[in-house]
Amino acid sequence: MTATAAARATFSVFGTMAVLLVTDQSALGAARLLADAELAAVDLACNRFRPDSELTQLNEAGGAARPVSLLFADLIATALRAAELTDGLVDPTCAAALASLGYDRDFSELAAGYAGPAGRGDEGPVTSEQSPATGEQNPATGEQSPVDGEAGPVTGWRSVELNLAGPSVQLRHGAQLDLGATAKARAADRCAGLIAEELGCGVLVSLGGDISVAGPAPTGGWQVRVTDDHAAGPESPGQTVAITGGGLATSSTTVRTWLADGRRVHHIIDPATGQPAQPCWRTVSVTAGSCVDANTASTAAIIRGESAPAWLADCGLPARLVRPDGTVVTAGGWPPEDQTTDPPGRGNEAGDPAGAAG
Amino acid sequence: MGGDDVRSAVARRDEGMRRVRRLTWRAGAAGVVGSVLIAAAFGHHTSSTASHHPAQPGGILVPGHPPTAAPGSGQVNSGAS
Repeated sequence: MTATAAARATFSVFGTMAVLLVTDQSALGAARLLADAELAAVDLACNRFRPDSELTQLNEAGGAARPVSLLFADLIATALRAAELTDGLVDPTCAAALASLGYDRDFSELAAGYAGPAGRGDEGPVTSEQSPATGEQNPATGEQSPVDGEAGPVTGWRSVELNLAGPSVQLRHGAQLDLGATAKARAADRCAGLIAEELGCGVLVSLGGDISVAGPAPTGGWQVRVTDDHAAGPESPGQTVAITGGGLATSSTTVRTWLADGRRVHHIIDPATGQPAQPCWRTVSVTAGSCVDANTASTAAIIRGESAPAWLADCGLPARLVRPDGTVVTAGGWPPEDQTTDPPGRGNEAGDPAGAAG
Repeated sequence: MGGDDVRSAVARRDEGMRRVRRLTWRAGAAGVVGSVLIAAAFGHHTSSTASHHPAQPGGILVPGHPPTAAPGSGQVNSGAS
């Protein structure tokens, strides 16, 4: 049952780490070229911090309808579909809320802004080895206090009018788009599908831990370590599972964090409040028929809070949820932990609520 | 008698036409149902193997196979970024 890919490439993209695995050694070069071209196109379409991106130009259009590329239309359609499937929990109009929290530039600049050359420690980003993002928590409820400044419900995904004939997009009611919740996962799906179709090999594409696989899987499947931080070491706390198709994504409140008004906040916005979601779960991992669907579900689960395991089970989605104290809850047929891979003293297996949830 | 023969022939013809229309409608309906079932059964393949096509509406796609436990540290991490 040893699953080994024939070839591997690791590179940086979207400010994070990408991994490309293919089952055919000779296909790696062509696969990388296909991935590079696709990822460059996605970046030009929807990078919120590029002045020349279609997304920036749309956000600055003052509500006027703008023609968009087929790729950008696909990325917006994906985001709107995610919003619809989650009853608006995964909403692409969170740009203003993120900006009001200070996330108005590339995250590496944001992180550098508060870390500083000698300031790491209390001010540094939280990693999977440290406490979860609970800067100003109420110790009794675990709830975070809202950050001062602009807050309130986001404009809402129904303010985005996508006309596929053309195509064109109009942002009404002052809506501002941020496709961060779905674009990376959709890009992984697009790359994996393209490489498998063009080169006929098995492929795994990981973009910052959002994983899509396509084509024939290696013997034993693709082996994935599910953990808090995609860049953590191979022995980091977590669980190893094998997948043979679709996607696997992990959302977490512990990695992409920064200080806003002296409080540590994270990037997963609850559209109902315009504030970071309450930290009921520090990490949620989901497998689905595609990476973007897995990511949609894992993000929605973070925002849903306590009701997430039952919702995931109802959707038929295998999932692993980790509470801030490390307790693990599984749902939807996620395999039991392999106790031999657990670090000493970590988490208590709380079982699969799928049966209880129906 | 000739008139009766004609009426009888017309009646038989009309009955035959009704049967043909019923069969045609049933065949069409069966085709539609079959298409829906095939689309439902193989929808996840559309996403996993040719997922650079625009996303399809509908529910969240479930995986074709659930994940299985695996030994070791894995080939790649899935974690937040």
